Amino acid sequence: MKKRLLLKWQWLPVLALIGQVLQAQNNCDITLRGKVVDAHTREPVAFANVAIEGSDIGAMADENGLYSIDNICEGSYIIVCSHVNCDHIEHQITLTEDTQKDFVLEPHGVFIQEVLVKGKAVPLKAAGAGATLDAAQLSSERGLTLSDAIGKLPGVTTLNTGASIAKPVIQGLHSNRVLVLNNGIRQEGQQWGTEHAPEIDPFLADQVTVVKGAGSVRYGADAIGGVILVKPRPLPEKAGIGGELNLQGLSNGRTGIASGTVEGRLSGKLPVSGRLQGTLKRGGNLQTPDYFLDNTGVEEANFSWALGLKQGKWNTELFFSRFYTRLGIFSGAHIGNLTDLQNAIERERPLQDGTFTYELGRPQQRIYHELFKWKGELETGDKGTLQLQLARQFNRRQEFDAHRPYGDLPDNFDEPQIEFEITTHTAELSWEHDPIHNLRGSAGALFMRQANTTDRGALIPNYENYTVGAFWIERWKNYPFPLEVEGGLRYDYQWMDVGLQGRDSINRQLGFSNFSGTIGAIYRFSKLVELRFNAGTAWRAPNVNELFSDGVHHGAASFETGDPNLRPERAFNNSLSIELDDKDKLSATLSLFYNVIDDFIFPEPQAEPVLTIRGAFPAFGYAQADARLMGFDWQAAYEVMPGLQLESQASLLRAWNRSRQEYLSLMPPDQFEHALRYTFGKGEGDNTAPYLRLAMINVLEQTRVPGFSSAHLTGTDYAPPPAGHTRFKLEGGARFRLGRQPFEVNLAIFNLFNASYRQYLNRFRYFADETGRNVSVHLRVPFGNG
Amino acid sequence: MIFNISMPIRFLSLLVIASALLWTGCQKDDDTPPADEPELITTVVLNFTGPDGNTSSFQFSDTDGLGGNPPVADDITLSANTTYQLDIEFRDESNAANVKDITAEVREEAEEHLLCFAATGVLDIPVTLDTDGNGAPLGLETELTTGQAGNATLAIILKHEPDKGADNPCITGETDVQAEFEVAVQ
Repeated sequence: MKKRLLLKWQWLPVLALIGQVLQAQNNCDITLRGKVVDAHTREPVAFANVAIEGSDIGAMADENGLYSIDNICEGSYIIVCSHVNCDHIEHQITLTEDTQKDFVLEPHGVFIQEVLVKGKAVPLKAAGAGATLDAAQLSSERGLTLSDAIGKLPGVTTLNTGASIAKPVIQGLHSNRVLVLNNGIRQEGQQWGTEHAPEIDPFLADQVTVVKGAGSVRYGADAIGGVILVKPRPLPEKAGIGGELNLQGLSNGRTGIASGTVEGRLSGKLPVSGRLQGTLKRGGNLQTPDYFLDNTGVEEANFSWALGLKQGKWNTELFFSRFYTRLGIFSGAHIGNLTDLQNAIERERPLQDGTFTYELGRPQQRIYHELFKWKGELETGDKGTLQLQLARQFNRRQEFDAHRPYGDLPDNFDEPQIEFEITTHTAELSWEHDPIHNLRGSAGALFMRQANTTDRGALIPNYENYTVGAFWIERWKNYPFPLEVEGGLRYDYQWMDVGLQGRDSINRQLGFSNFSGTIGAIYRFSKLVELRFNAGTAWRAPNVNELFSDGVHHGAASFETGDPNLRPERAFNNSLSIELDDKDKLSATLSLFYNVIDDFIFPEPQAEPVLTIRGAFPAFGYAQADARLMGFDWQAAYEVMPGLQLESQASLLRAWNRSRQEYLSLMPPDQFEHALRYTFGKGEGDNTAPYLRLAMINVLEQTRVPGFSSAHLTGTDYAPPPAGHTRFKLEGGARFRLGRQPFEVNLAIFNLFNASYRQYLNRFRYFADETGRNVSVHLRVPFGNG
Repeated sequence: MIFNISMPIRFLSLLVIASALLWTGCQKDDDTPPADEPELITTVVLNFTGPDGNTSSFQFSDTDGLGGNPPVADDITLSANTTYQLDIEFRDESNAANVKDITAEVREEAEEHLLCFAATGVLDIPVTLDTDGNGAPLGLETELTTGQAGNATLAIILKHEPDKGADNPCITGETDVQAEFEVAVQ
């Protein structure tokens, strides 16, 4: 009954979002003039078109880039500036008097799906669905985890192991099916593990873009669920020193974070820019509304540097980042075998209420990740841009069980039970060509070599992995013609040489290869409505853990066995998005998706448990079935009255195992978020006005799970999914100046009313509640040019 | 003068330096065997000493570690109406050439360990005789009294970091060993 009522409430704001655009028109003698320049060279762009959208009024810039439009009526307009060799720019402007407006055009738009939201430029939109978060939107959640920050987007949720380990889930898919690009390089760690979070400093991310559905063609096979692009700030283009200091405190876990950036550019002859960035984080035991969670502290120490040189047609950049974290795993969740797990579930709450401490004990994870990359770019005359990227990554993951290994002290005192080291080298050459008869495109090739060593434990084997791939993407666009079409093709070959696993030699060589393809279109019905369609096919080779896993997964109390004969997965992704934007009061996006994955690889429960000297463990073997994932994501905002905005967001998913005729397990439940946002007055620019935002998040119970049976060994889960819940979040932010020094303060209270709840996609839901109220205060102090 | 070097040459030299840095980074040999496996308990030995001073031993072992072959347990035969002293030993027999006794280590860390017992059939649960440094039970040394003849099962569970103050400490902590035996009382 309660649920039904809730459902009705979800839809009310949607109905309220039907609005009208009002334009006042009085004075009709206004002149708009200005200059059009190239974003890189600052040279004037000759013969660009400047027009008022939806009207015949416009003008062409002269050879010096100057334009002038006369006799415009007072009102609010969207001015479009376009040029055959550039991305067009849309700018919203309210004209009450003669106005000067300059436009800066990007000569080569960033291609496919890399949506840039900085400034006012409207570059190529992805034909597929996607969304971007900028630094301001990432603000408060950055203090939690990077995944929590991305999880704000519709269609994106998180898969958690406690509160400090979170992985992004895009429309139900995660881990190896989601590719994370850290500063242009595919992040390679042990991303197959559900408790292995992305090893990226959230404060390094200035902008995060999520590509939903297959992003395989551009970014590499595997990405059948989506792609997450994490980008640091571009290196400064202006001479001088600048930077920023971020200080954040979170009440839960009494977490403190300090993150700083210093960047600059030499003036004079040598056009070198550089940046140094670092983050320190420390948190103690987290707290649910009723008890502390023992051993849930976290320590993180990251730094990065970048050096760039830009001259004429050349552009080169060196980048290094280091990520190191030590995080405690909730001790109440560490169990020996299935009986322990059942005991823990029956207790319903942890045995001990815990206390606060910053001390980290066992179980624990220590993760080290470093990335070193070099990028070189060359503008090949008026033909396009050639880019070469070389990168080396090293990732070490150590997992310490609750019990230190048996053996003589002190040798074994501080030794992990599991340790992996993986080194990855990537080289990518790509060429983006300038428009040729309205066709723009890029082509490229990638080489990757990877070597994994399992130094302790034998869960996965040592292996070497070689991948080569090539892609070609073209897009046809003839602004202002309302249709844009895009198509791309990719081929990848992957070869894997598998060596030792523990003391056994696997000695197997596996090769996989296939094509990925995508076609997409954008159609603008009017300046208000835009339709986007994308169909693609992608494939993913089985991952090493799916092929060769052999051992107990602690915390999950399960024994996982791989199958070396697995076939690659083949996905067919379809997405249709309708976007409504009146550039004033209303914006809304509805994205429908229908994804079919043949030979979907999943851990299937086995009839017989594995008997060991530690007791019985339920056995899971990797199996394949045909799956279907469909649903929609929804996001809308409507300005009800000046300053007050109503926001609505929904993520719905239905995941079905077509072969077994049952639901897929561990899929995110339906989720809704509704918010009221009040902005006080007008700020100096974008997002600078003080605001308050109250959000209500409803998560429904996941009722679509494979037949749950209390006989744990035949069911697929140990406990039924937790009940749905509602939680609230209050956010606010303001910018102010003390003297000449600007400050930015962001406040957020997560779980405002301290609700007790559990999440289906948290692997620790068997043991404890989610964390309680968490007050975050974030202070950002830019200095110099920053 | 460095500024006189033409751009392409500078670019190329940067490329060479960068690639040298990137590609010669430390690399692990893929074929290195993993570090020595940490010691693990593969074998539980039950030593029953009767009133006559004779000791009979039975064992439960899983020498190939978790997974692989299932554990093997001896069948225990005991005399009816007899009080036995039952001492429990733990061993690491994963390497037959280097068998290690882990019992002493469990005793040294007695506060962190607890042996729990479960019995069905004609058998009563063994009575724990030894204690840890805090005076709480440990369970490496116990006493078992048999009654009438019949069949029974006996389970030995080694708990790590149990809450010894809890009402039922045996449902707390992490299970390190769970060994089950068939017992015939004659």
